[in-house]
Amino acid sequence: MASIPLVDTVTGPSTSELWRTRRDKERYQWSSFGLLTPTFGLLILLFLVPMGFAVWLGFTNLTLVGPLAIHSSFVPWQQLTRLRTDTSFWSSLWVTGIFIAGSIVGVVIMGYTLASLLMRAVPWMRMIVGGIVVVAWMMPAVTAGITWYASTTGGGAFATLLGTPNSNFLDNDPLLVVTIASVWSMTGFAMLVMGAALRNIPSEAIEAATVENASTWQRFRMIVLPLLRPTMTAIVLLTGLLALANFSLIYIMTQGGPGNATNILPLYSYQQAFSFNNLAYGALIGNIMVVIATVFGVFYVRITARRL
Amino acid sequence: MKAFRKGVLPRLIAGTTIIAMSTATLASGGVSQAGAASKVTISVAYAANTTFDTTPLGLTWWTAVKKQYEKLYPNVTVNLIAVQGGEPDFLTKLALDYKSTSTAPTLAQFPSTEIALYQSTGYLMSLSKMLKGSSWFSQYPKVIQNEGLINGKIYAVSSGENNVGLYYDKAILTKAGIKVPWQPTNWAQIISAAEKIKAAEPKIIPLWVDAGTSAGPNGAGYGILNLLAGSSTPTIQTSSGKMVVDSPGLLQTLDFFHTMFSKGLGAPTSQLFSLNNAPNIPSADFKSGTLGIAVGANFLAGNWTKQVSFPYWPQASTAIGIAGLPKVNGGGYASTLSGWDYGISSTASAAQATAAFNFMNVAQGQKFLIEAGNWAGWVPPVQSDWNVPLYTNFAAPFNKEFGELLPSSSELPTSANYSVWVQGIETASGTLAQTPSTSGATALSQMKSYVTNQLGASQVTTLK
Repeated sequence: MASIPLVDTVTGPSTSELWRTRRDKERYQWSSFGLLTPTFGLLILLFLVPMGFAVWLGFTNLTLVGPLAIHSSFVPWQQLTRLRTDTSFWSSLWVTGIFIAGSIVGVVIMGYTLASLLMRAVPWMRMIVGGIVVVAWMMPAVTAGITWYASTTGGGAFATLLGTPNSNFLDNDPLLVVTIASVWSMTGFAMLVMGAALRNIPSEAIEAATVENASTWQRFRMIVLPLLRPTMTAIVLLTGLLALANFSLIYIMTQGGPGNATNILPLYSYQQAFSFNNLAYGALIGNIMVVIATVFGVFYVRITARRL
Repeated sequence: MKAFRKGVLPRLIAGTTIIAMSTATLASGGVSQAGAASKVTISVAYAANTTFDTTPLGLTWWTAVKKQYEKLYPNVTVNLIAVQGGEPDFLTKLALDYKSTSTAPTLAQFPSTEIALYQSTGYLMSLSKMLKGSSWFSQYPKVIQNEGLINGKIYAVSSGENNVGLYYDKAILTKAGIKVPWQPTNWAQIISAAEKIKAAEPKIIPLWVDAGTSAGPNGAGYGILNLLAGSSTPTIQTSSGKMVVDSPGLLQTLDFFHTMFSKGLGAPTSQLFSLNNAPNIPSADFKSGTLGIAVGANFLAGNWTKQVSFPYWPQASTAIGIAGLPKVNGGGYASTLSGWDYGISSTASAAQATAAFNFMNVAQGQKFLIEAGNWAGWVPPVQSDWNVPLYTNFAAPFNKEFGELLPSSSELPTSANYSVWVQGIETASGTLAQTPSTSGATALSQMKSYVTNQLGASQVTTLK
């Protein structure tokens, strides 16, 4: 079958003119670079330069005090070898992984549960409970940390309410308690996003499934979950990023202890840089966190782009 | 009286001479030591919230010293830099300040454990020449004089010291069948006393010794390191700079902790791991009658005074007794010694250095030195001050007793590797508190592994 020319090849524009006028091809307007220059400038100044400096710093042996605070040198292999053989780093990475995974699972479950329950709740109840959860989310990490610290240590609110005032939940199960605190502080965000997504699920689909005698679990698995998946994925990734950067909450509750039980990467980086004076090694651990955050970020961008 | 003749009189004469000389110099319109011809400005950095027992007490003291100094040296302006935050925050901020000539404080007060770090970075000026004619420095005990001695030069001078002893509740010990005044002669007697307390008063904490990492490096200095100091091999860092990660002394110390916690004699982890000023908790426990014995720093006694009120407990002077912490198998007492020191920045001009040293002269005057000791919970570094009523009447009778215990104390190391090592031993002690079934040998193995991993095998050593 002969193709139909887009324009009259006899009387129409030449091929080069055709390319210039076609609307379905990506075109570059060089003048746009000028308009983007301020953005590029800011990006270079505020992100690439500090990031480049942090990368360079991580490959030196600079210390906060001591002779190497003045006469440091560029020793990338030495630093990478140190990182590779540092069992405390791998232990910290493992603790970070558990903390992030626990936060994600807890936030998704709690966020969905609260959102779906509130959809069925009477308006005044929805307002009160929703408001409390959102306040918990808006609460500064310092306040949340102090609240949870005071509640979970011996003589705290939980121990007293349970009738065992000497129980010390924070010291007995530190990682579990800080993870629950992290979930508590982020559930409000998940509840709001999940609530909006739940309201967008067409009621006809649920009603049709109900007519077909689908069970509650089947309706959830076959209809609700697939429709919520993009939202849940976004929540998973954002919660992961927030948990990775959750320095304040754990620092206030345990300072990474007891021992190294809650020493997640941000705290280990801080400990190396400012407690042990290893500024460069602390920066290197920080750079590893940036790599992890970048992986989360790339997934997030790709998934949100797919939805668009 | 002997002490007065030996120590106080020369200092009074020296102080009077300084004031008289300054007054005469000013009256004659001549040039004072700081240089009256030109104005000199010095900056003095101090920890606003950690050195003194309360922030207002610190502010009162520093302001009074500044006022007195500027009265004596009107051509010098003093900028007091009150660095906010806990001790780790203060150390970070000070280290960053030292990095730039424009922000380096002319004079700073910092923990003695930082001296070698700052000196090796080139931040501190040698004070040896200036101290040659000093009346107060010559009265420091040798162990305190050597606190800032590096390669034959003095880079920092003490403004006060913390040492450690055994506090005990006389009534609880009596009820447990222990005769007071009590003075154990070895570690076994401490454990035995704690066991008797537990048998007589099961709800009471028999023995409080700081464990775990919550109090930072200082926690070990007020707790486990005092036992190590009295062990058969107390060395923490060898003369070649290597950190000791395995020694009979370390094992004895961790075994003591194992015995204490496995027998249920130690404090609960809710107190030991508290981030809320754990080393000060025994002063509240003693007042509430829930603690028998505590290995505690001298500042605990100051907590019971009206000025500090943490908590105020005037009856403590009769209810609580003090004993020296014995060595493992007897043969005297042992304690760690750590203090806060003054250092002058290497970037200071000659005029600024002189002015900063004169500021130290004023701050080290007897009244200010003893007031700092009382309000910051320090034993004053000048030995003759240990018998002066201004010192002994404050937190009586404890202040005097801690002064008497001080000569048996030993300094903690000052090096970059110490902070890692102390994290290792605190983690080990915390493990024993949290999991009492852990043996001392296992805790030592964990510590060895942690410190070796952090510092590298070339930086650690084992003692037989």
